[in-house]
Amino acid sequence: MRPLSERWRLAALLLLLVVLQFAVRPLPGDSRVERVMPDFLFLALLVYAIRARPGQGAVAGFVVGLVTDALSPAAFGAGALAHTVIGYLAAWGKTVFFADNLVVNATFFFAGTWIRDLLVLLIGRHVQGAALYWQIGYFSPLKALTTAMAGMAVLLLFRRLLHIRIRE
Amino acid sequence: MPVGPERFTSRRDTLAFLICLLCAVAARVAPVDYQQVIASGITNTIVAPFLALQEQIELLKEARARVTQELARTDSLVVEDLETQSIRAENARLRRLLDLSARLPVEHVAAEVLRQEGPADETMLLLSVGRDHGVGPDDPVVAPGGIVGVIATVHARTSEAMIWTHPDFRASAMTQGAENNDIFGIVAPLASEGPTTTLMELGGVPFRRRVLIGATVHTSGRGVELGGVYPIGIPIGTVIADGEERQGWSRTYHIRPAVHPASLSHVIVLTGQGRNVADAFEGRGP
Repeated sequence: MRPLSERWRLAALLLLLVVLQFAVRPLPGDSRVERVMPDFLFLALLVYAIRARPGQGAVAGFVVGLVTDALSPAAFGAGALAHTVIGYLAAWGKTVFFADNLVVNATFFFAGTWIRDLLVLLIGRHVQGAALYWQIGYFSPLKALTTAMAGMAVLLLFRRLLHIRIRE
Repeated sequence: MPVGPERFTSRRDTLAFLICLLCAVAARVAPVDYQQVIASGITNTIVAPFLALQEQIELLKEARARVTQELARTDSLVVEDLETQSIRAENARLRRLLDLSARLPVEHVAAEVLRQEGPADETMLLLSVGRDHGVGPDDPVVAPGGIVGVIATVHARTSEAMIWTHPDFRASAMTQGAENNDIFGIVAPLASEGPTTTLMELGGVPFRRRVLIGATVHTSGRGVELGGVYPIGIPIGTVIADGEERQGWSRTYHIRPAVHPASLSHVIVLTGQGRNVADAFEGRGP
């Protein structure tokens, strides 16, 4: 069990990421830039999931997915499905990779974001043709990259709370 | 905080995952009406505070864009105003030139100053009139304020004027003495100031004659009958200080010129013969 104060601090960090999602993402004012902005909500999910049990990760993923579906209901349910899978796998994957390594986490953020986008696009089937390829091959990797960079920044800033090893 | 793999293999987790997966699939395949009810339920409850925050951010962004737009508009207006001021100044200069042209009792032609970037521009001016316009060598060049210089070289459609800053410039001048008498001398650019001089020098004033500070200096018209250049009465400048005494027999005075070449855009070239043009100039001369 984590100490109570640590849990509160983790909750505060997750809340901060959720606030950033709504405060920072609309700032550029250009839809193309907004499409590649870091996904702080998803980052919050991953930060939580790799420190939780797979079941908790799945529930958190489901909730986050439902919220994203509510915000852009073009393919309602696709987000919930994709986030549930990613949340579960992220928590389960702790047994496979070192969750306290900075580079591994960054790679994980990148891959997670990209795969999540792929799942949403494939399950939702609301984007087709050339737009689908552009999304998968261009916008999604860029968004994954910015999310990974934002994730690294979060891990560095809150390394003590998140138990991240800088030198390995 | 290292974690052990044994914690992540419980049935409870698998069950939670399967339930969530099932719910997600249900949400995906649910009728659109149900989906909308769920979506609006979420946006009106747990996401509402964050959406309100986003709305405020959007408002701030809009306000910032409006301020930027207003600043750009203000900048454009300032630029426009500056342009208008410059056009007004140009207009005023041209009006003064027209007035002078109307009052001049001798034949003349108006010319535009064609600016040349370079060191020669400080002592010579390229004018837009030439032989075809009746301009000849040694024709006086004047502006509404007074003397500018003299035509040095004439081409078919342009000419070059030597302005008073040129080291070779000389003009026979007269002014009012302290005893209310006419004093004659020679005006030249103030040599000590170098090629970028902004002052003139009235030299050759007899030692026993004194010129009052503030007195106006005009061309004297001496020698016009013998082929001299300047008619009587073209303002040259104002005496502002005593100069040096030369070997005890003559005095010099510093003169602030009536016309500064940098401010010129148009001039008048006097092409005809005339004895006295004093009445044509601003301030009316002697």
